[in-house]
Amino acid sequence: MREALLTAKEIVKTYPGAQEPVLNQISAEIYEGDFTIIMGPSGAGKSTLLYALSGMDALSSGKVLYRNQELGTLSEKKMAVLRAKEFGFVFQQTHLVSNLTLFENVAVAGYLQKGKSEKTVKERAESLLSQMHVEKAKGRLPSEVSGGEAQRAAIARATINQPGLLFADEPTGALNRKNSEEVLDLLNSLNQEGQSILMVTHDVKAAIRGTRILYLEDGKILDEMSLPPFDPKTAKEREEKVSAWLASLSW
Amino acid sequence: MELITLLKANLKSHRGTALGVFVLILLVSLSLGTVLTVWNNSSRYVDSEMDRLRYGELTAWVSGLPEAALLAEEISALDQVESVGVQPLIFSEYEIGERESDSEGQLITYDPERYPYKFFADDLSGYQAAPTEIAQGEVYASASMASMFGVQAGDAITFPIARSGGDVTFTVAGFYEDPFMGSSMIGMKGFLICEQDHEEIAGMIEESGADSLAREGFMLHISGVSGSALTAAQFNAFLNENTSLTSYVEFTHSREAISGFMLTLQNVFTSLLLAFVVILLLASMAVLSHSIGSTIEQDDTNMGILKTMGFTSGKLRVIQLLQYLMISLCGMGVGLLLSIPAAGLICRMTVTTTGLLIPSALPIGICLLALTVILLLLMGFVWLRTGKIRRISPVSAIRGTWKKSQEIKRTAFPIQKKGLTCWLALRQLLSGKRRYMGACLVAVLLVFFASLIGRVDAWLGPNGEGLMDAFNPADLHIAAQPMGETTIEQVEQTIGSYTSITDSYDLAMPSVSVNGVDMTANVITQPERFHLLSGQTCREADEVVLTEFVAADLGVSVGDTVKVAGTLGSGEYVVSGIYQCANDMGMNIGMNREGYDRIGEESPTMWCTHYFLADPSLQPEIMQALQDTYGGDVYLHENSWPGLAGILSAMQALMIFLYGMVILFVLVVTLLTAGKLLRAEQKDLSIYRTLGFSAGQLRRSFALRFGVIALLGSILGTIFSAFLTDPLVAVLMRMEGISNFSSQPAMWDVLLPGIVVIVLFLLFAYLAAGRIGKAPLASLEE
Repeated sequence: MREALLTAKEIVKTYPGAQEPVLNQISAEIYEGDFTIIMGPSGAGKSTLLYALSGMDALSSGKVLYRNQELGTLSEKKMAVLRAKEFGFVFQQTHLVSNLTLFENVAVAGYLQKGKSEKTVKERAESLLSQMHVEKAKGRLPSEVSGGEAQRAAIARATINQPGLLFADEPTGALNRKNSEEVLDLLNSLNQEGQSILMVTHDVKAAIRGTRILYLEDGKILDEMSLPPFDPKTAKEREEKVSAWLASLSW
Repeated sequence: MELITLLKANLKSHRGTALGVFVLILLVSLSLGTVLTVWNNSSRYVDSEMDRLRYGELTAWVSGLPEAALLAEEISALDQVESVGVQPLIFSEYEIGERESDSEGQLITYDPERYPYKFFADDLSGYQAAPTEIAQGEVYASASMASMFGVQAGDAITFPIARSGGDVTFTVAGFYEDPFMGSSMIGMKGFLICEQDHEEIAGMIEESGADSLAREGFMLHISGVSGSALTAAQFNAFLNENTSLTSYVEFTHSREAISGFMLTLQNVFTSLLLAFVVILLLASMAVLSHSIGSTIEQDDTNMGILKTMGFTSGKLRVIQLLQYLMISLCGMGVGLLLSIPAAGLICRMTVTTTGLLIPSALPIGICLLALTVILLLLMGFVWLRTGKIRRISPVSAIRGTWKKSQEIKRTAFPIQKKGLTCWLALRQLLSGKRRYMGACLVAVLLVFFASLIGRVDAWLGPNGEGLMDAFNPADLHIAAQPMGETTIEQVEQTIGSYTSITDSYDLAMPSVSVNGVDMTANVITQPERFHLLSGQTCREADEVVLTEFVAADLGVSVGDTVKVAGTLGSGEYVVSGIYQCANDMGMNIGMNREGYDRIGEESPTMWCTHYFLADPSLQPEIMQALQDTYGGDVYLHENSWPGLAGILSAMQALMIFLYGMVILFVLVVTLLTAGKLLRAEQKDLSIYRTLGFSAGQLRRSFALRFGVIALLGSILGTIFSAFLTDPLVAVLMRMEGISNFSSQPAMWDVLLPGIVVIVLFLLFAYLAAGRIGKAPLASLEE
């Protein structure tokens, strides 16, 4: 039996003033090494689930455990340390710090890691930016680069501390097709290097990159499917398979 | 209608800004209303009281004549004189407890019919009915005696009328309001007694003859004819030339001079406070500027949408203008209302310093005029600052490209791992410089003013030494003037038993007239000791030095000649230099002994010997020993005077008020600026938190930005203050006869205002940044 990296136990999230919960008694496990996808129609609560699982949003009830550590019981300081060491975030809007260059955006996250020298962090930041093909734009501000470059830098930033789990919220949602493919390729290659990823998407082409897909609707996980690691050669068959599965869920 | 709807919506969505600006304008209005009330009412009140008591244009204190009626008649007969009022009095030193007066007191015969003084209630908060007569053995003192000597009702005041037991002791029955000599800035003090006591003391003086220490005299209140073109000095000269006044006069003061003495404290402090109001106004404008800029940045999308709906830039600017107009009007109105009790409180608090219960009724006309000018200034400023609304194009605002074009470009400052929080603070600061300009400007202004006041305070010194140096014509440690059997040699022996005397000089202060105008002459045996400002001291017998005030009043300068007249005659003297002595508001001259001997007769008791001690720290002990040994036989004084206490306590109150306002202002400014910044940076701060920065780290980094800004502002404010304090304060001091103001504060005095402002900005920014930890990170989802 595989050990869960992240466990959600009957989590409920109801926004103040709302009648119905956005997340309704969800229990799920996210496993190490997986590229887990959360799919579902608009308003299903995908992003809310991601933020709940990452400890970025408070729960109405239930609990989330990361490596058996309950996030809700952690102090603000301990949560910050956990985020710095164990979590990486990639958002739909790149959310780079506007007055830091791409390189600084990546390096600053690395500086938070204790025990690593500034030189080591800088070297890793350079290497990651090179890996993400944005080394030429590293000295520019986020407002001076394309959306694709910014998102690749955001991935570099999210992975600089080699997090236990990388959270991605519609990372290709604001990108054109070409840039989307590049970003997804990067995520795949990171996953193949052992990086656990939990990604929210409503795009089938993005979803087929995962090894496990959770289908969320009306605040509940209705079904899930597992896939072998992504191989571009089998992309078409994967897409058909996933589409058929989704169709069976009235997608 | 649409304007009102938008106006309401704006006020609702920017409640914090509205509240902040409201508080700032309220503070400006409150301070201004209070200052104008005290300033306007005090001068009007002194004026009206002098009119009510019929003090006239000139008052001459005379002695040595048995009956004042003849002299009064002689003066009244002149065509330039309307009337002469006579108040009989007795000049006498006095003792309260262990303390001796350093100026003569004046026991004035109470005559409620002719001089209806006002009498204070026991707690000095108001008046009580004036007594029809004063009981024998009782005295009413000026309210400032409470601060100068700690006098309370029931205390005893002893007046040494004659040697060998000729003392008269009175019990203080209460306090009266003396618009003539009541201020603690004036050394001479009046005491009201009944006619019987006056007669008895007059009898004692007559009986004791040469042993008499007190003397009979009169105040002659001389009113000029209405419409006379003569200035006070010309009127004085006219009287001296045409009557026998000079034969009896001890000193003469014009109504303006007396009013100046009475209002010295109020004028100095209200001038400083008025300058503070200007600083507060400038600081408010800096905050307003920042507030308008960030509001436009924040609302650009809404403004873009409104423009697509047909709103013109002009209309949008009018909405902004109306918004700030309403807030300013509310702030001004509430501030003005609050200034009524504030002014009342200040007027009551200063009774024992000013000697007057200044009316606290708001001078509506002046206040409204001043506030209207300020309002127009503010609205003009708002109109200018909202000009950038014109540059918002609907499409760019809705797409967000307009805001992007407002963003600050990158800085070449590297971010380093060590001290990451500080580097990030610096980066935020440098990349958003404009946003911090307001806070920086406020820091500059507040530190500048606090520094300025600190420098004035340091100049005053803990015991008022600075002020004393300005008033004394020359330096001293201890001064002694034998009045009876004791000889100066005995005094020196006593001093010598404690510490050796390093040097000494003699100083006398007889009355003379210069170009016909009565004033005091500082006659000195070592003219090189005068506090000289320009030219040379008066070494020769035909030379004098003048104060800047006298030189300007007489229209003479160094090298010119003046005619000085004394009891023996008159002579021509060359003005060899300008010196500093603020006594009599600068109405005095300096001359050497030989010079005085040409026109006046020396008397054995006129000289007061001033000593310099080898160990000045023994001064208090020596003073006590001299007092214990010689009592009233030797008149003693040091580099101090009882009125200093009032000034020092007023200065302390000003410092407390100033720092209180600084705290309030920094609080409001920080909350306003921080609120806007936190809103603008909410996304970046959330991103930092997702990266693993703790809320505490971000709070510290945020506070640090304000600390750095305050540091920069403080440095600039301190530098400005170092360069501008002396010339600015000197202008103010000149009006009070002090023409050599030069602050030389200690390092701590220089640094303190800056440190206070930096700490306040750091503290309030840290507190304001508390909301960083409360912002939900899920907002990044939006």
